[in-house]
Amino acid sequence: MAYAIRTDRLGKQYPGGTVALKDVSLDVRPGEIFGFLGPNGAGKTTTISVLTTVLRPTWGYAEIDGVDVALYPERIRRTIGLVFQRSTADETLTGRENLEIAAGLYGLSPAESRPRIRAVLAEMHLAEVADRRVRGYSGGMRRRLEIAAGIVHEPRILFLDEPTLGLDPQGRGQFWQYIRALRGRQPMTIFLTTHYLDEADQLSDRIAIIDHGGIVAQGPPAQLKAELRRDLVDVRTSRTVAEARAILARVPGVVAVERLGNDGAYRLSVARSEAIVPSIVRSCDAAGLELAAISTRTPSLDEVFLTVTGRQYHEAGDGEANGPAPPPAGGR
Amino acid sequence: MYREFVTVLRREYLKFVRVPIWIAAAFVTPILYLVLFGQAFNLDALFPSGAGGAPYLRSALFGAPNYFSYFAVGMVAFVTLSMSLYAGTGVLFDKQLGTHQRILATPAPRSAVFAGTLVFRSIMAAWPAFLAFGVALLFLHVPGLVGLSVRPSIGALAIGEILLAEALLALMFTALFLSFGYVLTSNEAYFGITTLLNLPILFTSNALFPQGTMPAWLQSVTAYNPASLAVNVMRENLFATTGYPYAPGVYLLGLLGWAVALIAIALFLSARALRVP
Repeated sequence: MAYAIRTDRLGKQYPGGTVALKDVSLDVRPGEIFGFLGPNGAGKTTTISVLTTVLRPTWGYAEIDGVDVALYPERIRRTIGLVFQRSTADETLTGRENLEIAAGLYGLSPAESRPRIRAVLAEMHLAEVADRRVRGYSGGMRRRLEIAAGIVHEPRILFLDEPTLGLDPQGRGQFWQYIRALRGRQPMTIFLTTHYLDEADQLSDRIAIIDHGGIVAQGPPAQLKAELRRDLVDVRTSRTVAEARAILARVPGVVAVERLGNDGAYRLSVARSEAIVPSIVRSCDAAGLELAAISTRTPSLDEVFLTVTGRQYHEAGDGEANGPAPPPAGGR
Repeated sequence: MYREFVTVLRREYLKFVRVPIWIAAAFVTPILYLVLFGQAFNLDALFPSGAGGAPYLRSALFGAPNYFSYFAVGMVAFVTLSMSLYAGTGVLFDKQLGTHQRILATPAPRSAVFAGTLVFRSIMAAWPAFLAFGVALLFLHVPGLVGLSVRPSIGALAIGEILLAEALLALMFTALFLSFGYVLTSNEAYFGITTLLNLPILFTSNALFPQGTMPAWLQSVTAYNPASLAVNVMRENLFATTGYPYAPGVYLLGLLGWAVALIAIALFLSARALRVP
């Protein structure tokens, strides 16, 4: 199978000796949205920099559309589009002028670029403000202009480096719609880095999780969650019983019991099974433990991360440099 | 290559015309220099007009009808130098905004990016110098001001030599300071280096003061300073008797040597800085 992006034990060591990437192996299929998830400082930006030919790999191999990234950077640059974390538009120029310059840097003639610029402006809902200076744009408009600049030359692969960093939850939700709409536009592969678990979960066909410069899990989000072979069951006992924990732990199929607060709530990690809820109910009945509520859910990517790294996602990373800790994925 | 070059040129131009203060400063600076420095440094006053032999002395020292005429031509070199000092600032700001990184991720040839910026910034360094020149000529007709008086007839060849000298001077300084913009990452380092170089280049030239008044060691430096060479070409073509030892062509050749050397250094530094790490 031809991959849009393939890397084989890719590594990057900076001149100071810091190893930012160690043996990153990825397969990204044509046309998919690939989520590259990891805490701050895990190596996401370094990976994207190597793939977009802005950094040279120290060891290993990477190809885009079958072309060696290290050997043919010029060819790669023609194939890819890039959307940065920050707004890189010229503030004193209009949105349209910024796109004309972006297109010109890809060698497009004004005649070629004019209809494309009109199309991407419409697609990103910027047509009305196209002839206003970027200085007056809102945060969301700037982000959309960045995407427009990234796709005006019709790349086969679009890289988005933490595209929703600094947007409020509503802005992120709106931004996701634009990303999803891009997929229908043309056969374009989207490689998206994020440190938001829910973003990777919501947008990606497949994801890879990077931690400390190495890939710790890769696959469709649903599969990663399924591979845990566990479900979570939240129960609330109607009264606090000293031996409740022991009773719950004895139920066949229950792997672990975690007490949530002091009001008789517990979270059970259980082997995946249709029969687990009746089994819990029966066992508690038999032991004289009354249940007020019971609910099951599949684990979130948060639990996937915890399982593969041994750390909570929100505790990982290099601190708070990029703002508040990402929200947990929640029960979906 | 051509399209990317034109795109970079256009971007630089648009950024310039959208900042009115920048345009105003580029206009006002050379005029202000001429009015304040030019009229204040009235070295002519040292030679009382009535005294026998003073006009001769004055002319021998300056090679020009008066000090202001001498100074105004030197001003062309000074303005070119001071305007070229900003050549690398755009790149520095682009680095801080991330625009530089975005440009590097495009397939646009680095040479086109460098050349487009170099050409625009060289024009930016050269035109205020011509403006200064024109204003100095106009001063002749302003009561109370000394003006630039030149030979009554100046041929096409003379004008060509003057333009070539100015073009070479603007290109070599702009290339050098532009390459500092590519190499350096901090504004402080950039302005530190440009400030360090600015006045020494000026004061080791004969742009503002005649070489004859300098100590011997300084004279030997001044003789080879590219600003001196450019100014010599201009003065020889504008004034009847400068007393300079060589013909303009010789100075132009020296200037060409400087241009080749400085542009080569600039290309080397920029290419190194633009290499993928």
